[in-house]
Amino acid sequence: MTEKTKQTEQNGSLSKVKKVLSAPRFLDLLPLIGLVIIVAVFAVMTDMEIVTAKSINLILSQVFVLMIASTGVFLVMTIGGLDFSQGSILGISSIVISSLSFYSIPLAMVAGILAGALIGAFNGFFHVKFKIPSFIVTICTMYLFRGLCAYMTTNAPVAAVTNITSLNLTWLKVVFTVGVLVIVYCIFTYTKLGASLKAIGAGETAARFSGVRTNLTKFLVFVAAGAITGFAAFLNVIKVGSITATAGNQLETMILIALVLGGMPISGGAKVRFSNIIIGTLVYCVLNNGLVMLGLDTAIQQLIKGTVFLFVVTLTIDKKSLHIIK
Amino acid sequence: MNEIILKAENVCKSFGITKAVCDVSMSFVKGEIHGLIGENGSGKSTFVSMLCGIHSIDSGRFVLNGEELHVRNQVQANDKGVSIIVQEMGTLSGLTVADNIFLGREDKFVRFGIKNTAAMNREAAMLLEKYGFGDINAAAMIDNYNFEDRKLIEIVKATHFGPRIVVVDETTTALSQKGREELYKHMRRIRDEGNTVIFISHNLTEIIEYTDSVSVLRDGKYIDTVKSSEVSEDELKRLMVGREIANKYYRTDYGQPVEGETVLSVRNVSVPGQITDISFELHKGEILGFGGLSECGMHEVGKAIFGASFDRAGTVALANGTKIDSIPCAIKHSIAYASKDRDNESLVLFDSIRDNIVLPSINDLAEKNILKKKKLDKFANEYAKMISVKMTGVDQFVSNLSGGNKQKVVLARWIGKNSDIIVLDSPTRGIDVKVKADIYSLMSELKEKGKSIIMISEEIQELLGMCDRIIIMKNGVISGELARDERLNEEDLIVKMV
Repeated sequence: MTEKTKQTEQNGSLSKVKKVLSAPRFLDLLPLIGLVIIVAVFAVMTDMEIVTAKSINLILSQVFVLMIASTGVFLVMTIGGLDFSQGSILGISSIVISSLSFYSIPLAMVAGILAGALIGAFNGFFHVKFKIPSFIVTICTMYLFRGLCAYMTTNAPVAAVTNITSLNLTWLKVVFTVGVLVIVYCIFTYTKLGASLKAIGAGETAARFSGVRTNLTKFLVFVAAGAITGFAAFLNVIKVGSITATAGNQLETMILIALVLGGMPISGGAKVRFSNIIIGTLVYCVLNNGLVMLGLDTAIQQLIKGTVFLFVVTLTIDKKSLHIIK
Repeated sequence: MNEIILKAENVCKSFGITKAVCDVSMSFVKGEIHGLIGENGSGKSTFVSMLCGIHSIDSGRFVLNGEELHVRNQVQANDKGVSIIVQEMGTLSGLTVADNIFLGREDKFVRFGIKNTAAMNREAAMLLEKYGFGDINAAAMIDNYNFEDRKLIEIVKATHFGPRIVVVDETTTALSQKGREELYKHMRRIRDEGNTVIFISHNLTEIIEYTDSVSVLRDGKYIDTVKSSEVSEDELKRLMVGREIANKYYRTDYGQPVEGETVLSVRNVSVPGQITDISFELHKGEILGFGGLSECGMHEVGKAIFGASFDRAGTVALANGTKIDSIPCAIKHSIAYASKDRDNESLVLFDSIRDNIVLPSINDLAEKNILKKKKLDKFANEYAKMISVKMTGVDQFVSNLSGGNKQKVVLARWIGKNSDIIVLDSPTRGIDVKVKADIYSLMSELKEKGKSIIMISEEIQELLGMCDRIIIMKNGVISGELARDERLNEEDLIVKMV
């Protein structure tokens, strides 16, 4: 009898903890709390080096491309899809931008966006038309366009016009990044399209029966994700000036990890928050740089990143809605 | 005869803050069919889920044959002689019929680590033959069979090993008349063999006719057990709801056929493999019923009108000649559709009540293409409250609502859209009396306002009670039409269905 009461008491306190953990406010704040903790931990471990102006500048310089590209994938993941082709898109678009930069820089930028949009359309077409799960389609295109990248950079890196790096100004990149975030935020929050995205992620059939043009919307989301990464490629080019075969390598996994660290449910749907992008990419870059500053071996760094990712996914995953990953 | 086989002692179960089952103690007698009734969310399903090891018990216990029952899953429950036929699909796709029947007891056929499939199929075929389902092939994939046959297979699965307790959880709502008869037959056989059936149903007529005693749950608490032969439907309703409910359940007006203007005409509509050459007209202020066996194609008619069928031929047109060819087009032209498959087609399950209510109306709610959260909140609140959805707020996810409340959300969204033509497919499926009555009165109200309703239903009583006109379908074609009349009875409809 006493055994039993003890058990129920334990159950009681456990359910209290669970209740606090699953309270909506707390869940929304969790990624932010994570960011603060991770900054604090690294600040202590690096003797405050990570919060010096120099380090912050360094971290920010890595955030821009990741944050912009994540914005597109955020949309894809909202409808319950995944996109692994972002790294290759960044590579191809960067090559396009570099090659055209000799004619006109604005033209090169537009062409980069178009190139990204085209690859996105390619993804969207196969996903929608042939009903292939998006992660399979995009894994295929990831290899396809990575191969193309390698082919185009076989002899030498593709260099952009030399004065393009003079555009590598922090204020300009901040303006570009904030611009993308604001535009996508407005579309996501205040338009029918944004509402449709969440509905598709939360239940595609029901969304279709509610009048959402699901196929068209899904196609457009992939085009948008490609176009946005195509734009991110411009920032990549002004930063590095010349493109090698490995441009954008692993960007897709960085995005995925960043979004999940930012609290994005991996199955998308109604529980996604726009803040997931911003906090997630910041957490990722702080983590990345912190590990470098600690002077850890690259292998150890990967190990730690993998562990953190697995830990966060395990904590946040919603088993009930997992079946809707497309 | 009155030997008690199963006792529940102070059984409790909570989900979060909701007390689903609260201190329930009751007993079941050997060799009886014991009905278990209650409104949606009264705890019936949770109660039997604990008995069968699907949910864990918070506190209290079950005693089977004087021995405390400790089961953690359905296989263990089966070993103890307790089995269940569940409310939704209880068979697994991608396996054969025989695999499904012997799921969890394949060991019987395993020698030295190798499964003897032939022996298993033989035994399954024998069982099917014994149950009178000889035309089901034991070796075939279960996916080749429709919902109804799969339910019959589930009867075999749940009862072939001679369990002492068989739970039938609201299975009949999914079955046609013929399937029901089969189920009743086997329930009686189980009882006559000296075992016990626990039968959950919303259909009180069925409860009174086929059970020996009935227990009532209300808000997770045990209310009473009565002898079925000594109780009326009204008394049962009173026990379930806890107070007298008005006798006005269905419409009571008769004798004024609706011959107003035509609002929708359906011409020669066919959907391959589903319906053939369906034509009819819907009038303003009319409730038009569609009845038939569950596979007769009537459910597809609803989809076809809403533009949701694949490969549809023929035309669906409004009075002004506008053709309806897609879902967005149907919604734009004021057609609403509540699917039979509520959780997949009617509701975005993992989304809030607000988002579900505003989604079809989103074009109307946008001002210059801009959506304002305040406006959406107001809209959702207004209609959720109008239909009295039981909720903590419009932010609540619909996946956590009970069946009746989910259906209310579905209705709220279409009332909010102010649709003129409302297609309701099985609107009261799996819904308790109180919400049922609410839905019927809402339908009458809509009719008064000049809205037109198509009600597709497997419940003959509600078709008779609510419709101005009933179209009966059989094998994908229209087999008859009946006008509203007090003298119509179930037989008149059944004759045309089979």
